[in-house]
Amino acid sequence: MSIELTEEQKMLQDSAERYLKNSYDFDQRQAASRSAKGFSDERWAQFAEMGWLAMPLPEEHGGFGFGAMEIMLLAEQMGRYLVVEPFLETVVVGGGLLARGATTALAERYLPAVAEGQLQVALAHGEEGKHASMINTATTAVDEGAHCRLNGVKSVVANGDQADVFIVSARLVGAGNSAVTLFAIPADAEGVERRGYPTYDGRRACELTLRNVVVGPEAVVGGRGSAEYLLDRVALDAQLAACAEVIGGMAALVEATQDYIGQRKQFGKTLSSFQVLRHRMADMYVQLELTRSLMLAAASSLAGEEGDAARLISALKARTVKAGRFVSQNAIQLHGGIAMTDELSIGHYFKRFAVLESWFGNRDFHLQRFRELQSVA
Amino acid sequence: MEKQEHYAEFRLRVRDFLDHHLTPDLRRAGRLMTSVFADFEATMAWHRILFQQGWVAPDWPQEYGGTGWDIQERYIFQEECKLANAPSLLPMGLQMLGPMLIRYGTAEQKEFYLPRLLSGEDVWCQGYSEPGAGSDLASLKTSAVRDGDIFRINGSKIWTSYAQHSNRIFCLVRTSKEGKPQQGISFILVDMDAPGIKVDPIVGLDGRVEQCQVFFDDVEVPVANLVGEENQGWTVAKYLLEFERGGHNFTIDLKKQLGKLHRQMAETRGINGASLETYPVLGSRLADLEIDALAVEYTELRIKGANSAGENPGALSSMVKLVGTELGQAFNELSLDVLGPAVAPCQLEALEPCYDGDIVGPRYALTAMAEYINNRASTIYGGTAEIQRDIIAKQVLGL
Ligand SMILES: Cc1cc2nc3c(=O)[nH]c(=O)nc-3n(C[C@H](O)[C@H](O)[C@H](O)COP(=O)(O)OP(=O)(O)OC[C@H]3O[C@@H](n4cnc5c(N)ncnc54)[C@H](O)[C@@H]3O)c2cc1C
Ligand SMILES: Cc1cc2nc3c(=O)[nH]c(=O)nc-3n(C[C@H](O)[C@H](O)[C@H](O)COP(=O)(O)OP(=O)(O)OC[C@H]3O[C@@H](n4cnc5c(N)ncnc54)[C@H](O)[C@@H]3O)c2cc1C
Repeated sequence: MSIELTEEQKMLQDSAERYLKNSYDFDQRQAASRSAKGFSDERWAQFAEMGWLAMPLPEEHGGFGFGAMEIMLLAEQMGRYLVVEPFLETVVVGGGLLARGATTALAERYLPAVAEGQLQVALAHGEEGKHASMINTATTAVDEGAHCRLNGVKSVVANGDQADVFIVSARLVGAGNSAVTLFAIPADAEGVERRGYPTYDGRRACELTLRNVVVGPEAVVGGRGSAEYLLDRVALDAQLAACAEVIGGMAALVEATQDYIGQRKQFGKTLSSFQVLRHRMADMYVQLELTRSLMLAAASSLAGEEGDAARLISALKARTVKAGRFVSQNAIQLHGGIAMTDELSIGHYFKRFAVLESWFGNRDFHLQRFRELQSVA
Repeated sequence: MEKQEHYAEFRLRVRDFLDHHLTPDLRRAGRLMTSVFADFEATMAWHRILFQQGWVAPDWPQEYGGTGWDIQERYIFQEECKLANAPSLLPMGLQMLGPMLIRYGTAEQKEFYLPRLLSGEDVWCQGYSEPGAGSDLASLKTSAVRDGDIFRINGSKIWTSYAQHSNRIFCLVRTSKEGKPQQGISFILVDMDAPGIKVDPIVGLDGRVEQCQVFFDDVEVPVANLVGEENQGWTVAKYLLEFERGGHNFTIDLKKQLGKLHRQMAETRGINGASLETYPVLGSRLADLEIDALAVEYTELRIKGANSAGENPGALSSMVKLVGTELGQAFNELSLDVLGPAVAPCQLEALEPCYDGDIVGPRYALTAMAEYINNRASTIYGGTAEIQRDIIAKQVLGL
């Protein structure tokens, strides 16, 4: 199998790389991350201007209608430069769920705004003390005929602190129906309360409390009881993007570490003259490239809507977590004490990887899923 | 059998003491530890309580303030303290400098420094590493130039843990450029109040300050503060490094981590709503680590045996440092796997023992990410994992 990028895809990759390399420096990233908002509005506007936010959204709602390959290419570059702006949360997940599930009216209300950089979205699905899964959803939506009434608490809602709209999973109660359903709920709706906080990867999330939040039928995303189906599908894009981000980050770490051990001297020699470090470096590189191969395979399968896409994505996630740990931990190890500081970017990649590990299912979850899907195939 | 009873009784005595003196606030500080250091105020409060009791330096010879306990009693004491969540005492004075002064210090030095160290009046930090001298410690450049009965010190030390809380620092400095680098190093005690010392905090990866860079600009130190002979500092330091690596019981740390992991697994619900403890895959991984921890425990027991027989722990302590730290890191990773997204919120205020507000997420997940982050340093400080392997290869295997 060979995966060729189209001319357009190459251009996208080059321009993203060029823009981020020239203008997304680490100190500004840190300043944006520490601001009250947690990222830079100005950057977000620039991303919109370059069309990045519209990339995977449907053409009928202000998007370009591109797919998995483009998501992968952008996310990889963002990972490489440790971008803190919520592309994953708002565009890939939020945009993806709305594009696939929202009614035309709802899609028209939100998607053009996402594409233009005017709207932030967050998926509010996980709950405390549980590994994310449908069956455990304790948040309820009581069906009261003309509307639903939501109650519950959502935990570690990524991008939740800045979201204008939440997409909330809740279990339908009443009318003999208990299926989990997604609802689009504006952050300023009555009964919605959030508590924002920073996360270890330099971003911001929230705990979201819903108290008797009343929503009409138009708020349902993807139809009643379709949360699992919809989330499973969008999770594939999200997982691809998250893994691409880590792979971009690993590439940056390999390069930075290679550079550092070529310069730092101990015992009168450069660190790169110690074979154990050279071998470690070689292993880091191997881990990166092996994982990149899976990423390309998974992206192309997903872009082609092929049958093994889900299995390849699970394989990719499981492998990315393993490789991400190995590369980020050893990048720190090979730098020594200096990498344990806030000042160097090295450790910030490490922290970002650690947070992404459990995004849409951790390694154990995907190992299991890989086996299940294999037995089906 | 009689011995067994004696130890059981000893354990009860320690427990009784902890029940009465280890306050809830102190236990909370111990629970909130995310690195080898606990909150400074709590650490020193506990230090003073143990000092009152005469138990602050069990490892020291009795004539200098030790307890006279045998090795098993000391182990029991450490274990009970740790498992009761006592804040760990600062090792720089008690574990490193103290034994070193007892071995190499002059009568005056011992008489002056040891009591102040025991009482907690003096807080020491360790000034070895420099920006250019990490693993290759002997290449250190901070210079001490003799001028009558003082040394004039210039240069800087880095990664100095808790320098921001210390009133004294013990340093390795260069007193000669002749011969091998190791031969021109001296060991000297410095008052942090001395003019010309500047302490810059370093923000760690977890967002908090534990280490500092310490700058010396024409700092004057009396010649009498040399420990050991001039240019003999390397011998002194090597003795100390063995204590740094060997004085620690990794088994106890691992047991504490294991306890936490069991709790985290019991409380977290998996896909089918059941506790993660019932998951065969996670259960096997935990058992695997538990077995490794057991192997460390029995290795430490073997080392203790050698110790009581009067042998130097030497390279064996390198071995335990290596596996103990790497195993600790594996425990941290399993914690992340168990807790999932709950480890993400960064709640620095909630990690302070005085914090009494709400926290986000379950309490058993509060420290996991900071521990995962900070514990990466355990294979860097005190001799990196690569250096430890080198020591084993050279000193044990003769390669
Ligand atoms: C089944 C088999 C089939 C073979 N077939 C062929 C064949 O068809 N044609 C042929 O020409 N040869 C063949 N060989 C020989 C093979 O190429 C050599 O065994 C190989 O090059 C290793 O050399 P050595 O056995 O002398 O081991 P050594 O070179 O002595 O190596 C011993 C160990 O030291 C390590 N080592 C050596 N140098 C370094 C270094 N610089 N850094 C780090 N580690 C190092 C090695 O990795 C190895 O672990 C065969 C060998 C085997 C076992
Ligand atoms: C949290 C923390 C607390 C610390 N506290 C103190 C303190 O209180 N006082 C103090 O003096 N110091 C302290 N240190 C410093 C610590 O001792 C040094 O970081 C350590 O000695 C490593 O030095 P370095 O960081 O310069 O790394 P380097 O020596 O530059 O090492 C970088 C990498 O190269 C590897 N390497 C180096 N030489 C070799 C070799 N010959 N063969 C193979 N690999 C090699 C290392 O293993 C490492 O992976 C602390 C460090 C940390 C992280």
